[in-house]
Amino acid sequence: MSYDRPQELLKPVKRRFITLTFALALMMELLPLPVGSTRWLPDFVGLLILYWAINQPRRIGIGMGFLIGLIVDVSTNSLFGQHALAYSVTTYLVMLRQRQLIMFNLGQQALVVLTLMLANQLIMALVRLALGSAFVGASYFLPPLMGALLWPLLTKLLLLPYRHHTL
Amino acid sequence: MNFANTPRFSNQGLRPGSQLLLCTLASLALLIGDSQFGLMDRTRDALSVVLYPIQRAVNMPMAAAAHIGEFFITQTALKQENAALRSRELAQSARLARLTSLEQEVQQLKALNGLRTGSLQAGQLGEVLYTARDPFSYKIIIDKGLDAKLAAGLPVVDERGLVGQITRVQPLTAEVTLIIDKNQMVPVVNQRTGQRSLLYGYGGGVEVRYLPAAADIQPGDLLVTSGIDGLYSEGIPVAHVTRVDRPAGASFARVLCQSIAGVQSSRYVLVLPPRAAMPPRPEPAPVPAKPKKKKDTEDEG
Repeated sequence: MSYDRPQELLKPVKRRFITLTFALALMMELLPLPVGSTRWLPDFVGLLILYWAINQPRRIGIGMGFLIGLIVDVSTNSLFGQHALAYSVTTYLVMLRQRQLIMFNLGQQALVVLTLMLANQLIMALVRLALGSAFVGASYFLPPLMGALLWPLLTKLLLLPYRHHTL
Repeated sequence: MNFANTPRFSNQGLRPGSQLLLCTLASLALLIGDSQFGLMDRTRDALSVVLYPIQRAVNMPMAAAAHIGEFFITQTALKQENAALRSRELAQSARLARLTSLEQEVQQLKALNGLRTGSLQAGQLGEVLYTARDPFSYKIIIDKGLDAKLAAGLPVVDERGLVGQITRVQPLTAEVTLIIDKNQMVPVVNQRTGQRSLLYGYGGGVEVRYLPAAADIQPGDLLVTSGIDGLYSEGIPVAHVTRVDRPAGASFARVLCQSIAGVQSSRYVLVLPPRAAMPPRPEPAPVPAKPKKKKDTEDEG
């Protein structure tokens, strides 16, 4: 797999497609997965928000991050505003440097994504600690690592429908 | 056209900084309102109804897979399971026979002594819809709610022991806080010694706190609910003691326990009916006259 950013011309991304990806990611959240899997499964919705914020900043911005965060809060049964706060902060950080991020190759992007996903987890952990929950241990910061490892794959996958030529 | 890199020609909407400020303020308000004042419970109820069909739909492929797996089970496995179940039933029927006679005896004795008798209703079976992905809260969602007349505070058990307590009831679903949650505690009694104590969840496990360092407690002791709180009926197995540390210089023993029920693994749970209403607490003893008055009278005199 080459880590270079795809250079070819792409078809325009449809709003329908973005909605579909988020719907799929939310379904993943609702799946009754075995108990241990949440220790390492990355936060797919968070990854998608970063992906679309980097690649389609006009469509997915801070406000959308906030709204999608609220939906995630409901579906994961966490406190209202927890994911919303984390996602709006990280989309803001993406917006600050979006022009740069889009020029990075996938390896560099994965590093940035790792930091941003860690920031997500950190914000949520701080919020929960401030509101009186017990800390769940250092394994809470494992999912961002998995997310960053999956980033190149995710990018290639989400670009597939928008190639002019099939592979 | 890939317009990710095309610059914005006109300034649309708020600047990112002010957008962030708005969103942060909104989410902080929501967080505080939800956690401290419970303002969002109505919204949560409504959204849970909306999410219910989606949850069911998402559960469907898993359930179908389990069904297919059950269909292709081998005959030897079935036979083995059948034999195991039969022997267990035999053992349990003997215990049950003894238990019914004991129960009758207890009822008679209680009637003789004019004590109130506990209810003997069966509970309601619930299926675990999903476990919340949020690692900070140890909660599960079951598929019975207001429609099955559940109420907050009812104990939830599985076939082995206590799982938790219903904390939130929504129209079609209910939220069960597991005993290992940080804010959950269960009054228990040590079955061997009869000593009462409180079992605290600490987020991922349970422990007995505030037990004197000299208390008689050993690894392997069974802790069952004591029933003096008016919520849990007495005698539900809760946890086994796994380790007892008596650190020198500390006045309390450190007692680690292992929950008996499949707290995070059971698929079906039983919601027990509410206990018969407890008599009201006795009035607090009258406060003795304050010595201050005495002083006043002395001053006057």
